[in-house]
Amino acid sequence: MNPARPPALSAVGRALPPHRADQETLIAAFRDLWAKQHFNVDRLEDLHRAVRVGGRNLALPLEQYPALDTFQKRNDAWIRAARSLGAEAVRRALETARLPVEAVDHLFFITVTGIATPSLDALLVNDLGLRADLKRTPIFGLGCVGGAAGIARAADYLRAFPGQAAVLLSVELCSLTLQREDLSIPNIIASGLFGDGAAAVVLEGGDRRPASPRVPRVVATRAVFYRDTERIMGWDVVDTGFKVVLSAKVPSLVRERIRGDVDAFLAEHGLDRSRIAHWVAHTGGPKVLRAFEEALELPPRALERSHRSLEETGNLSSASVLFVLGELMDEPRGPEAEPPREGDYGLLLAMGPGFCSELVLLQW
Amino acid sequence: MVSPGPEEAVRQQALGEIRRILGEELAVAAAVEPGLALVADLHLDSMELLTLAVGLENRFRVKLNEADGAGVKTVGDLAGLVARRVQETRP
Repeated sequence: MNPARPPALSAVGRALPPHRADQETLIAAFRDLWAKQHFNVDRLEDLHRAVRVGGRNLALPLEQYPALDTFQKRNDAWIRAARSLGAEAVRRALETARLPVEAVDHLFFITVTGIATPSLDALLVNDLGLRADLKRTPIFGLGCVGGAAGIARAADYLRAFPGQAAVLLSVELCSLTLQREDLSIPNIIASGLFGDGAAAVVLEGGDRRPASPRVPRVVATRAVFYRDTERIMGWDVVDTGFKVVLSAKVPSLVRERIRGDVDAFLAEHGLDRSRIAHWVAHTGGPKVLRAFEEALELPPRALERSHRSLEETGNLSSASVLFVLGELMDEPRGPEAEPPREGDYGLLLAMGPGFCSELVLLQW
Repeated sequence: MVSPGPEEAVRQQALGEIRRILGEELAVAAAVEPGLALVADLHLDSMELLTLAVGLENRFRVKLNEADGAGVKTVGDLAGLVARRVQETRP
Protein backbone atom coordinates (compact mmCIF):
# COMPACT_ATOMS: atom_id res chain seq x y z
CA MET A 1 0.00 0.00 0.00
CA ASN A 2 1.21 3.42 -0.88
CA PRO A 3 -0.97 6.21 0.53
CA ALA A 4 0.75 8.83 -1.63
CA ARG A 5 -0.22 7.12 -4.86
CA PRO A 6 -2.66 9.24 -6.90
CA PRO A 7 -6.14 7.98 -7.80
CA ALA A 8 -6.30 5.65 -10.80
CA LEU A 9 -8.64 5.75 -13.78
CA SER A 10 -9.29 2.00 -13.86
CA ALA A 11 -11.71 1.77 -16.77
CA VAL A 12 -14.01 3.68 -19.09
CA GLY A 13 -17.36 2.31 -20.23
CA ARG A 14 -18.96 3.91 -23.26
CA ALA A 15 -22.55 3.56 -24.47
CA LEU A 16 -24.21 5.00 -27.54
CA PRO A 17 -27.95 4.82 -28.16
CA PRO A 18 -28.97 2.44 -30.97
CA HIS A 19 -30.64 4.83 -33.43
CA ARG A 20 -27.87 5.73 -35.86
CA ALA A 21 -28.52 8.51 -38.35
CA ASP A 22 -25.91 9.73 -40.78
CA GLN A 23 -25.47 13.46 -41.31
CA GLU A 24 -27.18 13.52 -44.71
CA THR A 25 -30.24 11.77 -43.29
CA LEU A 26 -30.38 14.36 -40.51
CA ILE A 27 -29.96 17.21 -42.99
CA ALA A 28 -32.86 15.84 -45.03
CA ALA A 29 -34.98 15.65 -41.88
CA PHE A 30 -34.15 19.27 -40.97
CA ARG A 31 -34.54 20.70 -44.46
CA ASP A 32 -38.30 21.19 -44.41
CA LEU A 33 -38.11 22.75 -40.97
CA TRP A 34 -35.43 25.21 -42.07
CA ALA A 35 -37.35 26.06 -45.24
CA LYS A 36 -40.23 27.38 -43.13
CA GLN A 37 -38.15 30.41 -42.25
CA HIS A 38 -34.98 30.40 -44.32
CA PHE A 39 -34.73 31.26 -48.02
CA ASN A 40 -31.28 29.81 -48.72
CA VAL A 41 -31.49 26.31 -47.27
CA ASP A 42 -28.38 25.19 -49.15
CA ARG A 43 -26.33 27.47 -46.93
CA LEU A 44 -27.66 25.71 -43.83
CA GLU A 45 -26.91 22.30 -45.31
CA ASP A 46 -23.33 23.45 -45.85
CA LEU A 47 -23.17 24.47 -42.19
CA HIS A 48 -24.16 20.95 -41.13
CA ARG A 49 -21.48 19.48 -43.39
CA ALA A 50 -18.82 21.92 -42.18
CA VAL A 51 -18.90 20.58 -38.60
CA ARG A 52 -17.19 17.39 -39.83
CA VAL A 53 -19.64 15.04 -38.15
CA GLY A 54 -20.48 11.90 -40.09
CA GLY A 55 -23.55 11.00 -38.09
CA ARG A 56 -25.06 10.69 -34.67
CA ASN A 57 -26.54 7.94 -32.51
CA LEU A 58 -29.88 9.27 -31.35
CA ALA A 59 -31.71 8.55 -28.11
CA LEU A 60 -34.90 7.94 -30.07
CA PRO A 61 -35.78 6.90 -33.63
CA LEU A 62 -35.68 10.00 -35.83
CA GLU A 63 -39.39 9.91 -36.59
CA GLN A 64 -40.31 10.25 -32.91
CA TYR A 65 -38.73 13.70 -32.44
CA PRO A 66 -41.41 15.92 -34.05
CA ALA A 67 -43.97 14.74 -31.47
CA LEU A 68 -41.75 16.00 -28.62
CA ASP A 69 -43.23 19.49 -28.75
CA THR A 70 -42.94 20.47 -25.07
CA PHE A 71 -40.17 20.62 -22.50
CA GLN A 72 -42.00 18.02 -20.43
CA LYS A 73 -42.20 15.50 -23.27
CA ARG A 74 -38.53 15.98 -24.14
CA ASN A 75 -37.38 15.76 -20.54
CA ASP A 76 -39.52 12.68 -19.85
CA ALA A 77 -37.93 11.05 -22.90
CA TRP A 78 -34.54 12.18 -21.56
CA ILE A 79 -35.11 10.47 -18.20
CA ARG A 80 -36.14 7.19 -19.82
CA ALA A 81 -33.27 7.09 -22.30
CA ALA A 82 -30.62 8.48 -19.93
CA ARG A 83 -31.54 5.91 -17.31
CA SER A 84 -30.95 2.91 -19.56
CA LEU A 85 -27.94 4.36 -21.37
CA GLY A 86 -26.32 5.47 -18.11
CA ALA A 87 -26.80 2.02 -16.59
CA GLU A 88 -25.23 0.42 -19.66
CA ALA A 89 -22.15 2.68 -19.44
CA VAL A 90 -21.66 2.00 -15.72
CA ARG A 91 -22.05 -1.76 -16.18
CA ARG A 92 -19.44 -1.75 -18.95
CA ALA A 93 -16.99 0.32 -16.92
CA LEU A 94 -17.33 -1.91 -13.85
CA GLU A 95 -16.96 -5.03 -15.97
CA THR A 96 -13.73 -3.72 -17.55
CA ALA A 97 -12.45 -2.66 -14.11
CA ARG A 98 -13.46 -6.11 -12.81
CA LEU A 99 -15.29 -4.56 -9.89
CA PRO A 100 -18.62 -5.72 -8.50
CA VAL A 101 -21.31 -3.08 -8.26
CA GLU A 102 -21.14 -3.31 -4.44
CA ALA A 103 -17.57 -1.99 -4.53
CA VAL A 104 -18.69 1.50 -5.60
CA ASP A 105 -18.53 4.01 -2.74
CA HIS A 106 -19.40 7.22 -4.59
CA LEU A 107 -21.27 8.00 -7.81
CA PHE A 108 -20.68 11.37 -9.48
CA PHE A 109 -23.29 12.13 -12.12
CA ILE A 110 -22.76 14.80 -14.74
CA THR A 111 -25.21 16.14 -17.29
CA VAL A 112 -26.43 19.36 -18.83
CA THR A 113 -29.13 18.01 -21.14
CA GLY A 114 -31.93 16.91 -18.80
CA ILE A 115 -33.14 17.20 -15.24
CA ALA A 116 -34.61 14.76 -12.76
CA THR A 117 -35.33 14.70 -9.06
CA PRO A 118 -34.56 12.20 -7.66
CA SER A 119 -31.53 12.65 -9.86
CA LEU A 120 -30.44 10.01 -12.34
CA ASP A 121 -27.78 8.66 -9.97
CA ALA A 122 -30.57 7.85 -7.49
CA LEU A 123 -32.53 6.00 -10.17
CA LEU A 124 -29.40 4.00 -10.96
CA VAL A 125 -29.02 2.92 -7.32
CA ASN A 126 -32.23 0.98 -7.91
CA ASP A 127 -31.51 -0.17 -11.45
CA LEU A 128 -27.93 -1.29 -10.84
CA GLY A 129 -28.26 -2.50 -7.25
CA LEU A 130 -25.74 -0.01 -5.90
CA ARG A 131 -25.20 0.03 -2.13
CA ALA A 132 -27.66 1.87 0.10
CA ASP A 133 -24.78 3.82 1.69
CA LEU A 134 -23.50 4.97 -1.71
CA LYS A 135 -22.59 8.65 -1.69
CA ARG A 136 -24.09 10.53 -4.65
CA THR A 137 -23.04 13.81 -6.23
CA PRO A 138 -25.21 14.94 -9.14
CA ILE A 139 -23.65 17.87 -11.01
CA PHE A 140 -25.71 19.88 -13.49
CA GLY A 141 -24.61 22.74 -15.71
CA LEU A 142 -20.95 22.28 -16.50
CA GLY A 143 -21.65 21.47 -20.15
CA CYS A 144 -18.71 20.39 -22.28
CA VAL A 145 -16.18 20.85 -19.49
CA GLY A 146 -18.06 18.37 -17.28
CA GLY A 147 -16.16 15.22 -18.18
CA ALA A 148 -12.80 16.74 -17.29
CA ALA A 149 -14.19 18.52 -14.24
CA GLY A 150 -15.88 15.32 -13.10
CA ILE A 151 -12.62 13.37 -13.20
CA ALA A 152 -10.94 16.17 -11.26
CA ARG A 153 -13.64 16.31 -8.56
CA ALA A 154 -13.81 12.52 -8.22
CA ALA A 155 -10.01 12.38 -7.94
CA ASP A 156 -10.13 15.07 -5.24
CA TYR A 157 -12.59 12.90 -3.31
CA LEU A 158 -10.41 9.79 -3.62
CA ARG A 159 -7.39 11.66 -2.27
CA ALA A 160 -9.37 11.99 0.95
CA PHE A 161 -10.59 8.37 0.82
CA PRO A 162 -7.78 6.42 -0.88
CA GLY A 163 -9.31 3.06 -0.05
CA GLN A 164 -12.52 3.79 -1.93
CA ALA A 165 -13.81 3.41 -5.50
CA ALA A 166 -15.86 6.01 -7.32
CA VAL A 167 -17.72 6.08 -10.60
CA LEU A 168 -18.08 9.19 -12.70
CA LEU A 169 -21.04 8.92 -15.07
CA SER A 170 -21.78 11.42 -17.81
CA VAL A 171 -24.96 11.13 -19.84
CA GLU A 172 -25.72 13.70 -22.51
CA LEU A 173 -28.70 13.39 -24.84
CA CYS A 174 -28.25 16.60 -26.79
CA SER A 175 -30.83 15.61 -29.41
CA LEU A 176 -33.54 15.83 -26.76
CA THR A 177 -32.75 19.49 -26.05
CA LEU A 178 -33.23 20.60 -29.64
CA GLN A 179 -35.55 23.58 -29.97
CA ARG A 180 -37.20 22.83 -33.32
CA GLU A 181 -38.72 26.28 -33.62
CA ASP A 182 -35.43 28.07 -32.91
CA LEU A 183 -34.07 28.60 -36.41
CA SER A 184 -31.19 30.83 -35.32
CA ILE A 185 -27.73 30.10 -36.68
CA PRO A 186 -26.32 28.96 -33.30
CA ASN A 187 -29.16 26.45 -32.93
CA ILE A 188 -28.76 25.19 -36.48
CA ILE A 189 -25.03 24.68 -35.87
CA ALA A 190 -25.75 22.96 -32.55
CA SER A 191 -28.23 20.64 -34.26
CA GLY A 192 -25.49 19.62 -36.67
CA LEU A 193 -22.74 19.22 -34.10
CA PHE A 194 -24.04 17.67 -30.89
CA GLY A 195 -24.86 14.00 -30.37
CA ASP A 196 -26.05 11.57 -27.70
CA GLY A 197 -23.99 9.24 -25.55
CA ALA A 198 -22.97 8.13 -22.07
CA ALA A 199 -19.58 7.37 -20.56
CA ALA A 200 -18.66 6.06 -17.13
CA VAL A 201 -15.20 6.13 -15.57
CA VAL A 202 -14.21 3.90 -12.66
CA LEU A 203 -11.72 5.66 -10.39
CA GLU A 204 -9.90 3.91 -7.57
CA GLY A 205 -8.08 5.51 -4.66
CA GLY A 206 -4.32 5.15 -4.25
CA ASP A 207 -4.58 2.40 -1.65
CA ARG A 208 -6.41 0.14 -4.04
CA ARG A 209 -4.95 -2.09 -6.72
CA PRO A 210 -6.73 -1.77 -10.09
CA ALA A 211 -7.27 -4.99 -12.02
CA SER A 212 -5.31 -3.74 -15.01
CA PRO A 213 -1.60 -3.22 -14.28
CA ARG A 214 -1.28 -0.19 -16.54
CA VAL A 215 -3.88 2.50 -16.03
CA PRO A 216 -3.47 6.27 -15.93
CA ARG A 217 -3.39 8.03 -12.57
CA VAL A 218 -4.59 11.56 -11.88
CA VAL A 219 -1.36 13.33 -10.92
CA ALA A 220 -2.84 16.83 -10.70
CA THR A 221 -5.80 18.90 -11.85
CA ARG A 222 -6.38 22.56 -12.61
CA ALA A 223 -9.56 24.61 -13.03
CA VAL A 224 -9.28 27.88 -14.96
CA PHE A 225 -12.14 30.39 -15.04
CA TYR A 226 -12.31 33.07 -17.73
CA ARG A 227 -14.03 36.08 -16.19
CA ASP A 228 -16.82 37.97 -17.97
CA THR A 229 -17.36 35.44 -20.73
CA GLU A 230 -20.81 34.29 -19.63
CA ARG A 231 -22.47 34.55 -23.06
CA ILE A 232 -19.89 32.47 -24.92
CA MET A 233 -21.75 29.25 -24.31
CA GLY A 234 -24.66 27.94 -22.28
CA TRP A 235 -28.42 27.62 -22.13
CA ASP A 236 -31.13 30.22 -22.01
CA VAL A 237 -33.78 28.31 -20.09
CA VAL A 238 -37.05 29.15 -21.86
CA ASP A 239 -40.62 27.84 -21.65
CA THR A 240 -39.84 25.14 -24.17
CA GLY A 241 -36.61 23.97 -22.55
CA PHE A 242 -32.94 24.65 -23.12
CA LYS A 243 -32.19 27.18 -25.87
CA VAL A 244 -28.56 27.07 -26.90
CA VAL A 245 -26.18 29.99 -26.44
CA LEU A 246 -23.18 29.44 -28.67
CA SER A 247 -20.68 32.04 -29.76
CA ALA A 248 -18.16 31.81 -32.57
CA LYS A 249 -15.64 33.27 -30.13
CA VAL A 250 -14.83 29.87 -28.59
CA PRO A 251 -11.93 29.05 -30.96
CA SER A 252 -10.36 32.50 -30.50
CA LEU A 253 -10.65 32.18 -26.72
CA VAL A 254 -8.87 28.82 -26.96
CA ARG A 255 -6.15 30.42 -29.05
CA GLU A 256 -5.71 33.26 -26.57
CA ARG A 257 -5.74 31.29 -23.34
CA ILE A 258 -5.09 27.57 -23.53
CA ARG A 259 -1.37 27.69 -24.23
CA GLY A 260 -0.55 29.92 -21.25
CA ASP A 261 -2.83 27.93 -18.96
CA VAL A 262 -1.41 24.56 -20.02
CA ASP A 263 2.20 25.76 -19.81
CA ALA A 264 1.72 27.24 -16.34
CA PHE A 265 0.02 24.08 -15.10
CA LEU A 266 2.67 21.77 -16.50
CA ALA A 267 5.51 23.96 -15.24
CA GLU A 268 4.22 23.60 -11.69
CA HIS A 269 4.86 19.90 -12.08
CA GLY A 270 8.26 20.28 -13.69
CA LEU A 271 6.92 19.47 -17.15
CA ASP A 272 6.47 21.09 -20.52
CA ARG A 273 4.35 20.23 -23.54
CA SER A 274 7.07 18.09 -25.11
CA ARG A 275 6.70 15.63 -22.21
CA ILE A 276 3.02 14.96 -22.91
CA ALA A 277 2.75 11.74 -24.90
CA HIS A 278 -1.06 11.54 -24.97
CA TRP A 279 -3.45 14.42 -25.56
CA VAL A 280 -7.07 13.79 -24.66
CA ALA A 281 -8.99 16.81 -25.90
CA HIS A 282 -12.70 17.56 -25.79
CA THR A 283 -14.21 17.30 -29.27
CA GLY A 284 -15.63 20.83 -29.31
CA GLY A 285 -15.79 21.02 -33.09
CA PRO A 286 -13.35 21.24 -35.98
CA LYS A 287 -12.42 24.85 -35.28
CA VAL A 288 -11.89 24.22 -31.57
CA LEU A 289 -9.69 21.20 -32.28
CA ARG A 290 -7.68 23.21 -34.78
CA ALA A 291 -7.28 25.96 -32.20
CA PHE A 292 -5.96 23.40 -29.67
CA GLU A 293 -3.52 22.02 -32.25
CA GLU A 294 -2.21 25.42 -33.27
CA ALA A 295 -2.09 27.08 -29.84
CA LEU A 296 -0.39 24.10 -28.22
CA GLU A 297 1.82 23.40 -31.27
CA LEU A 298 0.84 19.76 -31.13
CA PRO A 299 2.55 17.17 -33.32
CA PRO A 300 0.57 15.98 -36.35
CA ARG A 301 -2.15 13.49 -35.41
CA ALA A 302 -1.86 14.21 -31.67
CA LEU A 303 -5.61 14.85 -31.60
CA GLU A 304 -6.50 12.14 -34.08
CA ARG A 305 -8.73 10.35 -31.55
CA SER A 306 -10.66 13.54 -30.90
CA HIS A 307 -11.15 14.17 -34.63
CA ARG A 308 -12.28 10.59 -35.14
CA SER A 309 -14.66 10.69 -32.19
CA LEU A 310 -16.20 13.93 -33.49
CA GLU A 311 -16.67 12.36 -36.90
CA GLU A 312 -18.21 9.17 -35.49
CA THR A 313 -20.55 10.50 -32.80
CA GLY A 314 -20.60 14.31 -32.87
CA ASN A 315 -19.84 16.45 -29.84
CA LEU A 316 -21.22 14.56 -26.83
CA SER A 317 -20.76 17.53 -24.48
CA SER A 318 -19.37 16.34 -21.13
CA ALA A 319 -19.15 12.72 -22.32
CA SER A 320 -16.95 13.57 -25.31
CA VAL A 321 -13.61 13.77 -23.55
CA LEU A 322 -14.42 10.53 -21.72
CA PHE A 323 -15.09 8.80 -25.05
CA VAL A 324 -11.67 9.95 -26.27
CA LEU A 325 -10.09 8.73 -23.02
CA GLY A 326 -11.88 5.39 -23.42
CA GLU A 327 -10.51 5.03 -26.95
CA LEU A 328 -7.00 5.64 -25.69
CA MET A 329 -7.30 3.19 -22.80
CA ASP A 330 -9.16 0.42 -24.61
CA GLU A 331 -7.87 0.30 -28.15
CA PRO A 332 -4.72 2.28 -28.64
CA ARG A 333 -4.25 3.08 -32.29
CA GLY A 334 -3.38 6.12 -34.31
CA PRO A 335 -0.19 7.98 -33.40
CA GLU A 336 1.01 5.12 -31.19
CA ALA A 337 0.82 1.56 -32.41
CA GLU A 338 1.57 0.49 -28.84
CA PRO A 339 -0.46 1.15 -25.69
CA PRO A 340 0.72 3.93 -23.36
CA ARG A 341 3.95 2.96 -21.60
CA GLU A 342 4.66 3.11 -17.91
CA GLY A 343 5.65 6.63 -16.95
CA ASP A 344 3.99 8.27 -19.97
CA TYR A 345 2.26 11.56 -19.26
CA GLY A 346 -1.09 12.54 -20.69
CA LEU A 347 -3.12 15.73 -20.56
CA LEU A 348 -6.89 15.58 -20.62
CA LEU A 349 -8.49 18.95 -21.30
CA ALA A 350 -11.90 20.42 -21.93
CA MET A 351 -13.60 23.80 -21.99
CA GLY A 352 -17.18 24.73 -21.31
CA PRO A 353 -19.72 27.29 -20.12
CA GLY A 354 -18.42 29.85 -17.68
CA PHE A 355 -16.34 30.15 -19.82
CA CYS A 356 -13.73 27.90 -18.26
CA SER A 357 -11.34 25.05 -18.80
CA GLU A 358 -10.30 22.03 -16.76
CA LEU A 359 -6.91 20.36 -17.13
CA VAL A 360 -6.12 16.88 -15.83
CA LEU A 361 -2.54 15.64 -15.77
CA LEU A 362 -2.35 11.88 -16.13
CA GLN A 363 0.54 9.46 -15.77
CA TRP A 364 0.56 5.81 -16.71
CA MET B 1 -42.10 41.28 -49.55
CA VAL B 2 -39.98 43.97 -51.18
CA SER B 3 -42.00 46.52 -53.06
CA PRO B 4 -40.79 47.33 -56.58
CA GLY B 5 -38.50 50.32 -56.80
CA PRO B 6 -35.11 51.53 -57.89
CA GLU B 7 -31.90 50.03 -56.61
CA GLU B 8 -31.35 52.91 -54.22
CA ALA B 9 -34.66 52.28 -52.49
CA VAL B 10 -33.73 48.65 -51.94
CA ARG B 11 -30.31 49.70 -50.71
CA GLN B 12 -31.96 51.88 -48.07
CA GLN B 13 -34.26 49.02 -47.08
CA ALA B 14 -31.27 46.71 -46.80
CA LEU B 15 -29.51 49.24 -44.61
CA GLY B 16 -32.55 49.31 -42.36
CA GLU B 17 -32.65 45.53 -42.18
CA ILE B 18 -28.92 45.36 -41.37
CA ARG B 19 -29.49 47.82 -38.52
CA ARG B 20 -32.46 45.78 -37.28
CA ILE B 21 -30.56 42.47 -37.32
CA LEU B 22 -27.49 43.97 -35.66
CA GLY B 23 -29.56 45.70 -32.98
CA GLU B 24 -32.27 43.11 -32.30
CA GLU B 25 -30.59 39.78 -33.01
CA LEU B 26 -26.92 40.47 -32.43
CA ALA B 27 -27.16 43.06 -29.64
CA VAL B 28 -24.83 45.53 -31.35
CA ALA B 29 -25.24 48.72 -29.36
CA ALA B 30 -23.25 51.06 -31.62
CA ALA B 31 -24.88 53.33 -34.20
CA VAL B 32 -24.58 51.48 -37.50
CA GLU B 33 -23.35 53.80 -40.25
CA PRO B 34 -22.74 52.68 -43.86
CA GLY B 35 -19.02 53.44 -43.62
CA LEU B 36 -18.39 51.09 -40.69
CA ALA B 37 -16.49 47.90 -41.41
CA LEU B 38 -18.33 44.72 -40.39
CA VAL B 39 -15.30 43.03 -38.89
CA ALA B 40 -12.79 45.78 -38.11
CA ASP B 41 -15.29 48.26 -36.61
CA LEU B 42 -18.32 46.24 -35.53
CA HIS B 43 -16.23 43.21 -34.50
CA LEU B 44 -18.67 40.68 -35.95
CA ASP B 45 -17.49 37.08 -35.69
CA SER B 46 -18.14 34.35 -38.26
CA MET B 47 -21.44 33.26 -36.71
CA GLU B 48 -22.67 36.84 -36.48
CA LEU B 49 -21.75 37.50 -40.12
CA LEU B 50 -23.65 34.37 -41.05
CA THR B 51 -26.68 35.47 -39.04
CA LEU B 52 -26.57 38.79 -40.87
CA ALA B 53 -26.28 37.16 -44.30
CA VAL B 54 -29.07 34.66 -43.62
CA GLY B 55 -31.31 37.42 -42.25
CA LEU B 56 -30.83 39.48 -45.41
CA GLU B 57 -31.41 36.46 -47.65
CA ASN B 58 -34.66 35.73 -45.86
CA ARG B 59 -35.93 39.31 -45.97
CA PHE B 60 -35.01 40.03 -49.60
CA ARG B 61 -35.35 36.49 -51.05
CA VAL B 62 -31.88 36.53 -52.63
CA LYS B 63 -28.82 34.33 -52.27
CA LEU B 64 -25.50 35.81 -51.17
CA ASN B 65 -22.59 33.51 -51.90
CA GLU B 66 -19.00 33.37 -50.69
CA ALA B 67 -17.64 35.05 -53.80
CA ASP B 68 -19.92 37.99 -53.00
CA GLY B 69 -18.42 38.22 -49.53
CA ALA B 70 -14.94 38.95 -50.88
CA GLY B 71 -15.88 42.45 -51.98
CA VAL B 72 -17.91 43.29 -48.89
CA LYS B 73 -16.09 45.14 -46.13
CA THR B 74 -18.55 47.72 -44.83
CA VAL B 75 -22.21 47.96 -43.91
CA GLY B 76 -22.71 50.05 -47.06
CA ASP B 77 -21.01 47.41 -49.25
CA LEU B 78 -23.39 44.79 -47.90
CA ALA B 79 -26.49 46.93 -48.47
CA GLY B 80 -25.30 47.64 -52.01
CA LEU B 81 -24.75 43.94 -52.69
CA VAL B 82 -28.26 43.09 -51.52
CA ALA B 83 -29.70 45.85 -53.74
CA ARG B 84 -27.82 44.52 -56.80
CA ARG B 85 -28.97 40.96 -56.13
CA VAL B 86 -32.56 42.10 -55.82
CA GLN B 87 -32.30 43.99 -59.11
CA GLU B 88 -30.72 40.96 -60.84
CA THR B 89 -33.43 38.59 -59.71
CA ARG B 90 -36.31 40.78 -60.79
CA PRO B 91 -38.09 39.50 -63.87
